[in-house]
Amino acid sequence: MFKKMLFSVLLACSFSAAANIVVIVNPSNTSSVNAEELVRIYTGRSNAFSAVNLAESVPLRAQFDEKGVGRTSAQLKAHWSKLVFTGKGTPPAELANEEAVLEFVANNPQGIGYISADKVTSAVKVVHTIN
Amino acid sequence: MKKTVLSLALLGCLTAPAVFANVAINGFASIKGGMTTGSDEFLYGYDDSFDLKNESLFALQVKSDLGEKLSVTGQLLGRGNKDFDVGFEWAFITYELSDNMRVNAGRLRTPFYKYSDFKDVAYAYDWLRVPQGVYGLGFDNIEGVSFYRTAQLGALESTLQAVAGSYDGKAIVSGLEVDAEIKNILGLTWELAKGNLSGRVAYLTGKVTIDAESASLGQNVTIGGLFNTLNGFGLNNLVSAIDIQEEKGTFLGLGLTYDNSDWVAVSEITRVKVDNSFIAEQNNYYVSLGKRFNSFTPYVSYEVEDNESRDDIFLPFQTVLPPQLFVPVQGLVRSQERSTKTWNLGARYDFHPSAAFKVQYSSEKNDTTGDRAGLIALGVDLVF
Repeated sequence: MFKKMLFSVLLACSFSAAANIVVIVNPSNTSSVNAEELVRIYTGRSNAFSAVNLAESVPLRAQFDEKGVGRTSAQLKAHWSKLVFTGKGTPPAELANEEAVLEFVANNPQGIGYISADKVTSAVKVVHTIN
Repeated sequence: MKKTVLSLALLGCLTAPAVFANVAINGFASIKGGMTTGSDEFLYGYDDSFDLKNESLFALQVKSDLGEKLSVTGQLLGRGNKDFDVGFEWAFITYELSDNMRVNAGRLRTPFYKYSDFKDVAYAYDWLRVPQGVYGLGFDNIEGVSFYRTAQLGALESTLQAVAGSYDGKAIVSGLEVDAEIKNILGLTWELAKGNLSGRVAYLTGKVTIDAESASLGQNVTIGGLFNTLNGFGLNNLVSAIDIQEEKGTFLGLGLTYDNSDWVAVSEITRVKVDNSFIAEQNNYYVSLGKRFNSFTPYVSYEVEDNESRDDIFLPFQTVLPPQLFVPVQGLVRSQERSTKTWNLGARYDFHPSAAFKVQYSSEKNDTTGDRAGLIALGVDLVF
């Protein structure tokens, strides 16, 4: 029994560590999002969606910056500071955790965000997966 | 469609207080210090005693979203070399015409260079400071209107900016601070990017008036006094070839950037002209190469300034003018002669998610005066 529990805990841990990041939108949204469009959205070149980000303190954020947007968190911050301090854009609002992202996207027809694959519910639609 | 917008707006109202604030406060700061490497060396406001004030600055930006696509932004900035006296560096309203078009009106940054808009936000680039040989023109801000449009042209990302306005303030001419005015400024900048490569072109023109008349030429002679004497001799043509009264000024800048997240190479070349004045044509450029090793980015850059004085203004008068008039005329025109070459070697280290440590050594060789100046500077740039 104990062994089995340990095994399943280990399994769960290894799963969450290796979990894919999925990009989610509101189920009512029929737009498609590919890797390039995702980069445009999260670098301020596309306002087609109302994008939200995870707070910097959430480990998934750095993974998303790196794998989803293709830049380090520092590079992205430098990029956004160019836009913010020149009146050319506002970065996606930062939410405290994946649950908040899920809730925002579920309640906002134009919303887009990202969470780990194992947190997906039927309240949102997965449009892109980042390995 | 209308319904969607309406429900979206309603939803926005319901969720807004929790997610988005109406007023966003951001800021940036640089704390930098430096000193030149020799007692008779001066560069970028530094001498050979360590100075922590010269290039330090602190800025707060308040942006208020008024809804209906309208927002207002003010950026308060204090510079160490101005005793941290705080003033509005930027103050403008923004109206979003559409998702990819916006109009800004108010006090704006003149978009001469690729890094003009955010040259004070040093966190946004790798260098300790933007290349002074190219960025040293002044006239940083204008009062006016700017139209900004981003678009996707096939595989190219296009960023177009058109600007119109005027400048009324100080300028540095031949090392002297003078009153300057540029009216009817019109400019267009266009940046095209594809993958790792991007190119930029900027063209601006305006009517330049610079009041240097009270500036001293030494020995109780002011520029204005010299002009009066020349006019007294009937040499109005010479005076009008020298002075800067509503002369057409033009700026042309070209930039090229390659950035594959690993290597970053940047170059800009600029040409500045003020017709019918003693201001020399300025042909400047820089090239810069950096390599990113995770959070550590060493770089090297090279800058060239080439301002050839307009000797053709005074040469025809060499035999006509008495020496006591010819010498100051020649001196004034020649004061614009400047030829420098500068090497910079430095590094950026992202030691914190919102802050970068930088160190840079610069060595400027002035071929006009024969002087050389070395400068070591270091500091921290941050955004918050």
